Parts: sequence; C-alpha cells; structure tokens
Amino acid sequence: MQGPSTAGLVPSRATSVPLSVRNATLKFGGVTALNDVTIEVRNDELLAVIGPNGAGKTSLLNVTAGFYRPQQGRVEMSGRDITGKRVDQVARMGVARTFQGTHLFAGQTVVENILVGRHTLMNSNVLQAFLHFGWVAREEDEHREVVEEIIDFLEIEPIRNRPVGTLGYGLRKRVDLGRALAQEPNILLMDEPMAGMNSEEKEDLARFILDVREARNIPVVLVEHDMGVVMDLADRVVVMDFGSVIADGTPAEVQRDPAVIKAYLGA
Amino acid sequence: MSDRQQNKSLSDASVAKSETLPQILLARAQATPDGLSERHKRLGIWREFTWSDVLDRVRALALGLEEMGVTRGDTVMLIGENEPEHFWAEYAVQSLGGAVVSVYPDQTGEELAFLAKDSKTRLFVAQDQEQVDKCLEIVEDLKDVLGVVFWDGSGLWNYEHPLLKSFDDVTAAGQKIHDSSPGRFAGIAAKGKRDDLAVLSYTSGTTGKPKGVMLSHRYMFDNSTRILGAVDIQPGAEYLTYISPAWATEQMFGLAIGLIGPMVVNFPEGPEEVLDNIRELAVDAMVFSPRQWENLASIVQARMLGAGPIRRGLYNWGLRIGKAVYVERLEGRTPPLSARLQLPFAEALVLHHLRDNLGLGRADVALSGGALMAPDVFRLFHAMGVKLRNVYGATETGLLTAHTGETYRLETSGRWMDCDLQYGDPVEHRIAGDGELQVRGGSGFVGYFDQPEKSAEALTEDGWYATGDAVSLTDDGELVFLDRVKDMRELSSGHSYPPQFIETRLRYSPFIKDLMTLGNETRDFVTALINIDMEVLSRWAEENGIGFSTYTDLSQKPEIHELIRAEIARINSLLPEGSRVMRFANFPKELDPDEGELTRSRKLRRAFLEDRYGGLIEAIYDGSPNTDLEIAVTYQDGRKGILKATVNITNVEDKNQARAA
Repeated sequence: MQGPSTAGLVPSRATSVPLSVRNATLKFGGVTALNDVTIEVRNDELLAVIGPNGAGKTSLLNVTAGFYRPQQGRVEMSGRDITGKRVDQVARMGVARTFQGTHLFAGQTVVENILVGRHTLMNSNVLQAFLHFGWVAREEDEHREVVEEIIDFLEIEPIRNRPVGTLGYGLRKRVDLGRALAQEPNILLMDEPMAGMNSEEKEDLARFILDVREARNIPVVLVEHDMGVVMDLADRVVVMDFGSVIADGTPAEVQRDPAVIKAYLGA
Repeated sequence: MSDRQQNKSLSDASVAKSETLPQILLARAQATPDGLSERHKRLGIWREFTWSDVLDRVRALALGLEEMGVTRGDTVMLIGENEPEHFWAEYAVQSLGGAVVSVYPDQTGEELAFLAKDSKTRLFVAQDQEQVDKCLEIVEDLKDVLGVVFWDGSGLWNYEHPLLKSFDDVTAAGQKIHDSSPGRFAGIAAKGKRDDLAVLSYTSGTTGKPKGVMLSHRYMFDNSTRILGAVDIQPGAEYLTYISPAWATEQMFGLAIGLIGPMVVNFPEGPEEVLDNIRELAVDAMVFSPRQWENLASIVQARMLGAGPIRRGLYNWGLRIGKAVYVERLEGRTPPLSARLQLPFAEALVLHHLRDNLGLGRADVALSGGALMAPDVFRLFHAMGVKLRNVYGATETGLLTAHTGETYRLETSGRWMDCDLQYGDPVEHRIAGDGELQVRGGSGFVGYFDQPEKSAEALTEDGWYATGDAVSLTDDGELVFLDRVKDMRELSSGHSYPPQFIETRLRYSPFIKDLMTLGNETRDFVTALINIDMEVLSRWAEENGIGFSTYTDLSQKPEIHELIRAEIARINSLLPEGSRVMRFANFPKELDPDEGELTRSRKLRRAFLEDRYGGLIEAIYDGSPNTDLEIAVTYQDGRKGILKATVNITNVEDKNQARAA
C-alpha cells in the first residue's frame, strides 16, 4: 500500500522555525477563541493540531493565514513578523492552505482550478492576458506545465478536464490540495482534510500528504478531527481545548497524556 | 493479397538483414533516423520519439545494464504499465542477448516471487513505488539479483536500498560508456542470433502453476509476418498499445510488428485514460482482448440507455441500417436496396459520429485476440462500420488463424495464416478424434523454460503440439473454436455441452459481468452462477425506484432475479434441449482476483469457485428456493471477515417464481 511509515521517526533536527504563533489571543466579543496560544512549526515536520469541536483549531489556522488578526500576540515567518498582513500577502510569502469543505470554482475544470493557485506567481496583467502573445503565452505555458506535474503527482489525469462540480467529494479535496500546491508554498496548512471522507479516500489522501512532505520538503500543518489519521501520520501533535494548548508531543506521548484523555473522553 | 504484403515487409532491408528485434531498431535508426517511432502522452501532451531517439535510449540503457552485470542468457523481469520505458527495457535486454519476462502490473508479490524464481530473473525493471515495493520484498529470497531499476520515482524519494537504481542513472552511466566507446553497443547487438531467447511468456495458470513459454526472435519474426500477410497493416500505421506485454499477443504486435511493420506505437497516458486517448489519436491498428471489446460495447450501450428518447431512437435506427448493410455484406449477402439508400444518412447522422467518439474512425485493423467473443458484440461493431476481426492462436504455437478479406463468418476464428518459409516450415494442422486441434510447423514450440518434462507432455508422440482446444472447420476452411477439450462438459445423461459458448453469450448482457455454468457428469442438467454488473444494475434499480444497500442486497432482489432470468431465457432459446440453463443464483459478492476467485487476466478459477460456493451449488441442484451462505472475505485494506447472506435461486423456465420469492 504505502511506503514504510515515517511517523515519529523523523527527529526535529532543525533549528530555524519557518512559522510560529506566539502568545496569540483572539476574542469574538465575549468568546475567547484563542487564549495565549504559542505554536512552533519546525522544518519538514508533519504537525497535527487536534482538539474537540470549538477548541480553536480553525481559528488558529485563520490567524496564521492572515484571515483574522489576533488581539494579542504575533505570527512570525522565519523570524519575520507577519501579524496583521492581508491574506494575499501571507499567501505570497508562501503559506498555502486547503479548506474544510473545498473552496473551488465548481463550474471550472480541474486544470483551471489548479491554475488559479498559480495566480500569486503570475506576472501579466488583465490587458496583457487579453492580448495573449509573446511572453504572456509563454508564461501561461510554463504555468500550465507546473499544473500538469501536479496532476501527475496527484494521479488525477482522467479527470483533468472535468468541471469540479461534477466530482466526488474525495476528488474535490485532492483538487483543492493541487490548488494549494500550485502556489509552490513553503508551508502547507490543511484544515480538516479528512472530514467527510470514506476510509479509502482517507488512505489515498494520507498517502498524498506524506508524499507532499517527502517530495517538497516542506512542513505540513494538519488540523484534524480524526484521531486515527493523526496518530498514523503526524510527527508531532498539538492538542487544543477551549482555545488553549493542553498538550504537545509525539503521537504516543499525547495519547498517554491524562489532560488529552480528559478533553476527548470527558473522563 | 497475402503475397503482396509479405513481399512488402520482406523487401524491407532493415528487416531482411536483421536476426533480432534490436538489430531492426539499429537498422531503422540508421535508415530513417527522423522517422516517427513512438508517441507517449505525458503531462497532458503527446511527446514524440523518432527512431534515433528510441535507439539513443535503448543503447544507453543497455550499456548501463551491462555495466550492472546483465549479460547473454540472463533473464530480466519487466513490471509496469505500457509505457515507452517498458519497451525500451525489453529491446535493451534483448540487445545484450538476454530475455525478458513481462508481468501484469497488478500481480501480487507472491506471484512475482514465483515467476522470478522460475525464470531465474537477475534484474528487475519496475515502473514505480508500487512495483518497487514488491520487488524489494522478494529480492532477499532470490539468488544473485543484480538490481532493481525504476523509471518513475514518485514516492521513492527517501528509499535507500543497495540494489535500487533509477532508470535515469543507469541510462546516464550507459551514455558515458557509449561516449567513450561508440561502437560497443552495435558490436554486442550484432552478436544476436535468430534462435536466441527473446521473451519468456508465462501461461496464465488457469490450470496449475504458470509455465514460461520460450519465445525466440525467430518466433517474433515468424508471427509478425504471419499477421502482416493476413491483415493490411501499412508501414507507418498508428498503433495503440493497451494489452499488456505480459501477453504474447502484445509481444507480437507492439514490440515485434512495431519494429517490423514498422508502426508508430502510441502509449496511452494511463490505463484509465485509454478511451480518451484513443479518441484523440484515431489509430489505424489496435488489438484488444474480447473482454475489452465487450467492455467498449457495454459502454456504448450503457450511455445509450441514459440518452433521451430521440437520440436513442436515432441510434437504434442508425445501427439497424448499419447492420442491414455492413453485416449483410460481411456475410457475403447483398443488402436490401432500402437499407443501402438510407446508409449515407445513417453514416452522416449516427455511425460516423459513433466511430469518431470511440476513436475507431480510422481503425482499419481492429483485432480481437484470445478467447471467444459474443457474436452480438461482433455484429455491433460491424454495424457501426468497424471491421472487427478475430485472431486465434496460443502462446506455444503463435497466431494461427485470422479473419481476412472482406467477407468472413463472425462466429469463426478465421482462416489459416501462412508462415514465411525463411522463418520455419509451413504451419500444418489436424483435428484429433476428440475434436482437439493439433499443430506443427512455423517457428515451432521451443518448450517451457526449465521444464523439459512439461514441454514433452505438450507434444503428441509424433511431434505435433496439442492445443487442447476443441475445434471444427467449416466447408470454407474457417476455424470454429468450440471450447477447450477438457472444458466440453458431459452431463450424467451423457450429453455434452459447451459452457464457454453459453457464458460468452450471456456475458454480453449489460446486466451480467461474469458467470459460471455448472453441470457435470454427476448432474443431469445445466445451471449457472451469475456475477451481476453492479454499475449498470444499481443505476437500473435507481431508475426503477428499487432501494438497496450493498452488492449482496441488490444481487438477491427479486426484480434483479427476474431481469437475469429473462436474459438467460433469451440465450436458452438458442440452445438445444439438454444444454439449456435450468436454474441460477447470483453471487452475493463481486468476484475478486485478490481472493483467488479470478486469475489476473480475469478468467474464472473454476475449481476454486466450485469449492468455495459448494453449499450454494448443492442447493441449486436439490431444488431449494434459497440457501444461507457464509464466505470468508478479505477487504481491500487487508482485514478479514465473513460474509453472511441468504442467496435466492430461480428457475429459468418459471416466469413467476422470481416475483414470488
């Protein structure tokens, strides 16, 4: 099925921290979504953020991606403060994300949707694109080639010209991942990629996530509800509950942690 | 006609002076270096390879493999889909004087281990991670393995194994050797002789363990000229390679005729994109197995089931006219005037588009090789204007007969093909007392690899190869394949019936994916076990408002039983009294090669099935209306479980029984 599992075997040898959230607090009126949260994403690691519903996992991603601005605390990329930058600015800096429930153009084809991910890397403007000659056409060819490589990587050749709206949920998730990869990210954030999938689709996607990490050597942050998936895949797990980090360690350590058991089982 | 074509391929200097396939490649690259040889769809674009491109790659790979230790007489195993690297590796190994074993990409590690041991494999050339995993698992138990070479590195980024090498690295090393000694490759390839072993082609193992049939270069040349003499493949014809090189037929077509014809060999993007790729290409020549043609036919039919009434009406009319003209002509009759007058309209409105959409618009050479095909499928393609032809043969003897010319009978396997005398004696045949076809001549049967006793068993005392096929000949000399001699089955009444005839005809039903007829010397009538077509029937059930949960549930619905019953009754009307199917049941689960129920080429493992479903078979014969069944199953993820189901049994001749049950 898959290659040998590398979960837990890759030591976090890196010293530089590609992405970190420091002491972030985020409130919506009286609700505290994040309460003094600090998380570091290390080089090449597959970091899973888990927690019960409403624990603040998606809020954390949204803060990281620039969608929300925390009232307190900072978001840093390779040591640079990016707190408060707009979503598109963060994306340009190399943070790509996939969404819980895919955000794709249902009426457009798979190729077109993945091509959208190239947007931040395109240099021609609307007028130039309209005229479409010379280096504009060349540029499109280059982007198109990258898209084809992603299609090959994700093994979705048979559906490349199908409108996304006609695809099954599992395939749409894969296209969403393709769109994020097209951005050539330095870090990939995935929001509940496994939600709503059957076990075969989960296995497929898990394999692709491992492949992404191996082929691109980038850290992947996985916000996930499905404990089974997380324990098999992740190098490190951060557990959140009520907006705070309650545990941080290898899957095995976290599984034994009494605070985690309490949060999940209510015991 | 055949003389003209044989001369054409023989007068080709590149072929005439060559003794092996790689020698032809060298000659072609010299004579027409810029001529197109191969095309492969990769990253969405058709990439082209000229003769000199192909030679460059084969040469570099061969020298790289030689450096790894591959030498004359070695066996190399090739595992992967039909991609250019698969073909290049075969030519590279053969140019070193080695032989290849091609295996189906979905064969298990266990099967691979057996084949590798039996063929004395020294090196593996594998497509990707999936195949590399299987190879690395079995290399420990093999002696003197030189390496595992892969051509698609996805997923292998972090693999480290002393035997593992990438295709690119091996090729680069070979290229360096070529740069420093440019004459080396041609020198090695020139040593190849006509009787060198080129391929070990394993029998499918329907009966016992697979055996490696030794195919020489002489065999490849002989069979290619047999085919070129029988069907009109023009030099430069576009050919689509789809059937696996693990099957001797593809060795003759894609690999041998690809060089000898020559043909432009087109490699589809992947097995799932084949239908789209065929449409883009509109190839001149293609060979499918009967099963694949039948699949194509049911895709057309299924799409038409889903079309609106106007389009469906138009389709039916077009096909009726096509049938009235093309099928009549095929069978040597004059079509009625009214049909001939309507034909141009049917062509313009329906048939032309149908062919175009299937990518068969230019397919002058459309061949079906292997087992028997349902005559209905055959007629369907002819009605569309596609001149489908059967070819018949065995790995051991090569191809023997083919439909040639403009008129032939579709229920036959065609006329005898001629062997070119420079490659062997004329092919002779005779029919033994029990109806068995026996053959000698041509490049002949060299034997099974490393199994002299088994090889001797395959021959009669006077040296004819016993095919094991029960056949008859028509007055015109066309061959009719009835069944395997051992598969013609006798009932306790003494009546013999042809199970394959029944099965092939029933398989054509859109509702039936596969089936097994029962009835032997202990039983006095014929019955059947049906593997329903889930895809078609689930849609049918939806349209008819029938709720169901799983395959098991759907397969036992009375409405489904009634559908299947009507299909069997239709076929029964074609059969004599004692051969009719009296009762049937539907398998409660899909038959699966992973559980040993089917072979890799998707043939039924009958003995295994009879044992596994023994309880059900008993119930069919003792007249019970249903029975409870427990079957051990293995799920896709490797878990094991037990499938419990109540299986219904229906009498075919009793119309109301299914509804009542």
